[in-house]
Amino acid sequence: MIEVKNLSKQFKAPTEEKGLFGPKKKAFWAVKDLDFEIKKGSVASILGPNGCGKTTTLRMIAGMLTPSRGTAFVDSVDVRKDKQTVKSKIGYMTNNTSLYDRLNVIETVKFFAELNQISPDVYMPRAEKLFDQLDMRKYLNKRIADLSTGMKQKTSIVRTLIHDPDLIVLDEPTTGVDVTGQSVIVDLIKSIKDSGKTLIFSTHQLNEVRDIADHIIVMKAGEKIFDGNNNQFQELDRNKNFTEIFMELVNE
Amino acid sequence: MNKWQVLLVKEIKHLFRDTKTIVQTVVVPTFITPLLIGAIFWYVGSIATEETKKTYEISVYSSADSLLIDNLNDSDRLAITKEGSLEAVIEAVTFDKSEIGLVFDDSFVDDLTSNNSAQLTIYSKDIDTFSQAKSIVSNIVDDYEESIRNNRLELLNLDENYVNPITINEEDLTTEEESAGSIFGALLALFFVMYVISGSMYPAIDLGAGEKERGTMETLISTNISSVDIIIGKMLSVTSSAILTATFSMLGFAIPILIIFLFYADSVNEYLFGLLSAIVNPVALIGVFVLIIPLSVFMGAFLLAISVYAKTPKEAGLLLGNVLIVFIIPCYVPLINPGLELDFVGALIPCYNLALITNNLIAGTVDWFLYSVALLSTIVYCIVAIYITYIMFDDENVIFRS
Repeated sequence: MIEVKNLSKQFKAPTEEKGLFGPKKKAFWAVKDLDFEIKKGSVASILGPNGCGKTTTLRMIAGMLTPSRGTAFVDSVDVRKDKQTVKSKIGYMTNNTSLYDRLNVIETVKFFAELNQISPDVYMPRAEKLFDQLDMRKYLNKRIADLSTGMKQKTSIVRTLIHDPDLIVLDEPTTGVDVTGQSVIVDLIKSIKDSGKTLIFSTHQLNEVRDIADHIIVMKAGEKIFDGNNNQFQELDRNKNFTEIFMELVNE
Repeated sequence: MNKWQVLLVKEIKHLFRDTKTIVQTVVVPTFITPLLIGAIFWYVGSIATEETKKTYEISVYSSADSLLIDNLNDSDRLAITKEGSLEAVIEAVTFDKSEIGLVFDDSFVDDLTSNNSAQLTIYSKDIDTFSQAKSIVSNIVDDYEESIRNNRLELLNLDENYVNPITINEEDLTTEEESAGSIFGALLALFFVMYVISGSMYPAIDLGAGEKERGTMETLISTNISSVDIIIGKMLSVTSSAILTATFSMLGFAIPILIIFLFYADSVNEYLFGLLSAIVNPVALIGVFVLIIPLSVFMGAFLLAISVYAKTPKEAGLLLGNVLIVFIIPCYVPLINPGLELDFVGALIPCYNLALITNNLIAGTVDWFLYSVALLSTIVYCIVAIYITYIMFDDENVIFRS
């Protein structure tokens, strides 16, 4: 389903050295020579400390950033060659709700459905089902600006899933979300897992990973330092818990 | 609907649900600005009217009595104060106790009696353009001089024509339309450009840097909408707002003028009535509007490109503020130089060409070749600006610049 080959991304970051127009910039590898495969229908999690390249990796897989080197294939479609097809297969949710404040819930969902060229006959039943599933009925005509963070998160979920994507990419979905919101996300990930779709998410919440993920990828400074399933992760040290193993990995 | 149409509908809905957009595009151009302009005209008019009734303080120093001083004294509009020295006159004018100071040479009366040229010095501050004091004094002095000249000619038994070999007759053939064009053309163009910029500035910031800051740009580009569709949708939203602002600003000018025509035509000064009639000219209004549309698209695309480049709305506001100056100055040049005429090079300069063409359209003297050059060049600038915007939206370093 997802095949990542030698995926790398280079950025320029400001240094302490001053130039004519501000600080001088120096190139660095945000992601370097990443290789992994995620099977169809599995739930994969990318873990790592802040700045390790999780978001950059997800953005490259989703066709939002062009790799500097290497590539990723989504359902055998090369992201370097056909971004638009890759994007149409993916539902991408950013690490904040990022919705249009002055639209209401229905308008938001309709906008993203129409952007994906789906007719109301197709998207409305799908939306109705999600509204019921997420208990959103009372809020459909409320503007996004007037919603709670949890309800914004739910709206974001509906808009991500409205075109029934084969692959769902969630970038730190529980960051900045309260306990209720987190539970909504966890339930969503579980229901996606049950539906047989492929899901990849980055997170700091190790409990979520332990409970949900089939596949774990740990990154540090742009490079992959672990790639395996839940059991293989625990096998790294049977005497330690999930968090301790993770801490040991990233602090090595 | 195409993807850009879906985006356009969403952007317009999102923009116009913001009170700031409504105020910027509808309320200010339709109501506030005409009211402000009306208030300024009323204030300036009332000052000018007051000046026609005002009695001016005049300081005079003369060592001997003169008939001219009596003539000045006879004027209802002048209040003469005799000073004891030249310095006292200068001081009175310097410290605004007197509007005009007159200093008669010690030999003034003797020189006139002996048929010589007498010296009279007038002290004034010419910065007060409304003051009529100097012209009243000059008229009285001219009349007095003419009576003395006629007396001298009579003594010599000479006809007045002897010292006036040429009589110049002046006929001003400027039409009301040309007067209206030179007075209002550049001013209207300046207003239109300002409205187009102000109408597109807030949407450009909101749809560019604003979306980047709120994270909705990332959400948008994560969908399978292409950069071209994003540019078309966003640029047309910004342009719609600009054109709407320009339309309402035109209505803001046209409606008060129509009200004056319909209800207060009898009480309007004939000259002013003629000038206003010249502005309400369908060819001029359509001609200006046709030029404003590509200019709005050009500015919309240009402002959007800058806004997308900016990291934050604050940075976008700062950058766009500088752009405002670049567009306004070319409009301002014909306003302070009313005699400027459009040539081929001028027709290529955006905003400058609009100002001069608006002059010519109102005056009815437009050169349609230069009009076409201005229109085509603006369309070319549009295409270039759209291309730059495309490059900006297609560059991930710009979209994710933070």
